[in-house]
Amino acid sequence: MMMRRREFLQYTALGSLGTTLAACQSSARWQREAFRKKAGSRVAILAAKAYDQPLTDVIMRGIKLCALQVPGKRIVLKPNLVEFDPKGVINTNPAVIEAAIDAFRTLGAAEVIVAEGPGHRRDNEYLLSASGLYDVIREHKVRYVDLNTDDVRATAVRSSYTSFKQLYLPETLFNADLLVSMPKLKTHHWAGVTLSMKNLFGIIPGAVYGWPKNILHWQGIDNSILDINSSLPLPQFAIVDGIVGMEGNGPLQGQAKTAGVLIFGDDFVAVDASAARLMKLEPRQVNHLAKADAFLGNLAHEKIAQIGEKLENYQQDFEIIDSLKNLKNITG
Amino acid sequence: MLDRIITTLLENQNSDGGWGALRGKRSNTESTALAVTALKALPENAEEKRQRGIDWLLRRQNQDHSWPLNATAKVGSWTTALAITALSDNAANSERALAAARWLLEQEGSKPGILAEIILWATGKSKVNKLDKDLIGWSWVPNSFSWVEPTSYALIALKKLRARLAGTNVDERIRQGDAMIYDRMCDGGGWNYGNSKVLDYALWPYPDMTAVALIATQDHARETANQESLQVLSKIARATDSGLALCWAAVCLNVYGQDNSDFQRQIEKRFAAAAFLGETKSLALAVIALGGKVNPFRI
Repeated sequence: MMMRRREFLQYTALGSLGTTLAACQSSARWQREAFRKKAGSRVAILAAKAYDQPLTDVIMRGIKLCALQVPGKRIVLKPNLVEFDPKGVINTNPAVIEAAIDAFRTLGAAEVIVAEGPGHRRDNEYLLSASGLYDVIREHKVRYVDLNTDDVRATAVRSSYTSFKQLYLPETLFNADLLVSMPKLKTHHWAGVTLSMKNLFGIIPGAVYGWPKNILHWQGIDNSILDINSSLPLPQFAIVDGIVGMEGNGPLQGQAKTAGVLIFGDDFVAVDASAARLMKLEPRQVNHLAKADAFLGNLAHEKIAQIGEKLENYQQDFEIIDSLKNLKNITG
Repeated sequence: MLDRIITTLLENQNSDGGWGALRGKRSNTESTALAVTALKALPENAEEKRQRGIDWLLRRQNQDHSWPLNATAKVGSWTTALAITALSDNAANSERALAAARWLLEQEGSKPGILAEIILWATGKSKVNKLDKDLIGWSWVPNSFSWVEPTSYALIALKKLRARLAGTNVDERIRQGDAMIYDRMCDGGGWNYGNSKVLDYALWPYPDMTAVALIATQDHARETANQESLQVLSKIARATDSGLALCWAAVCLNVYGQDNSDFQRQIEKRFAAAAFLGETKSLALAVIALGGKVNPFRI
């Protein structure tokens, strides 16, 4: 009889070996003195029913609730614009990006830049036109930067989950004051969820690392997420587009799922953990979030001050693919 | 319109002689190689600027004959194939191109290691892709998997220099590279970036990838796969609002001896609408697509 994969894992040393290795290495994978987690984090969940409703005020409220300082800053908005499918809901909706441009400008930003390094397509002009983002950046006279082909600068990787000792990152990030990750609320068939942390695959320049950023997959998606997020050269903030999210076989081929919220915060781990809970997924079962909890941010419910709407009132049961059913084991 | 495109392309040239992805960006090998290739199609135009571009390429060539992406990321890169194509018809520098081609022949896309295979099998993900991973092409990054675009660029470069690479493994690498390209073709024709299927979900062909793969396999023009993919390209490129996609499609149709005048008109419209976002790559391809007396991508 053929051995099942689960049995294989149970009866070979592979599973336990992996766990043991991970345990032995975890303490060496990031420098304790380099990362100081806050005692508590703040995440704002605000209702936003539809894309055709006024969103600028919602975003301004979210920014203020999180006490984010905006005046005089050069701000890079990093949406998720990985691919376009006219029948799908893959990308951060341009209406949310437009509202964020308005909000940050109104709050006194020195400059707002929209920047993305699409993971699947090299063709910026197509993605921008097809997604509707081109009209937004033209109308608002916003600079758009293709992070795939931007000038690059080498920066030391501050954790060691991958074998990268340094990463080439876009020069635009080094010349800005704040990076705003603007992911879509989505499930992901490899990483479990793709939110503000996973969204940063898009800052990795394709011209250096290729498309579809496959070298990061070879290093392990979770490992790459951790090393990228640990090595950012500037402060961060997240605005998650959860007005309409994606469930099932995300990040590209899943189905639309309305959640009716925008989620805000400056701790990506806390924001993504809250977003996972909103999708009725257990963040501790999401590998990169569980590991990030040790040094990058707060995952535990009791360490996250939920402000704005009550999370429980907006929870939706997001479907996931069979191989990720463990994410439905909610432990609190 | 062509004059405006040429002018914009020339205005993007940096003072060091190279081109960046956009005006004001630092020079890189991809943009410079494509600009030099494009200007080669217009022999009476901008010869001095083209020569400065060639000089930039020659200065940037690594000791091992590869080309880096740019002055910051210095290891030999996928852009080497584009630099070879840019220099391959230039008698004065063909030895430099030939040496780079030998470097290219040494580069192989990797297969997943045994541990990765076991983990993929154990986690039920070993059959997520419909592809033959034993077929070796060229990767974006050394020691990683083979993908359609870098393999296509390598095939174009090597097929151009094939006769001068006698005594090397060029025939075998081309044979296997071609086989890899056909293995990755989408159902019904055309190419995505490298997989035709992920988790039982059929991926759709991209116009730019399809055109590049067809150019790379132009010596198999009569194959059913090429003919089907040409039809797919005509359909999907026409429906794409993108200078890059339209330019690659027009260059490809020209290579295959087909009428590309519809695409040429669309290219002009796209330039009028969005100036290809100022991207050097699209500008260079537009010069070839609209004005080239010779098609430098013809093998």
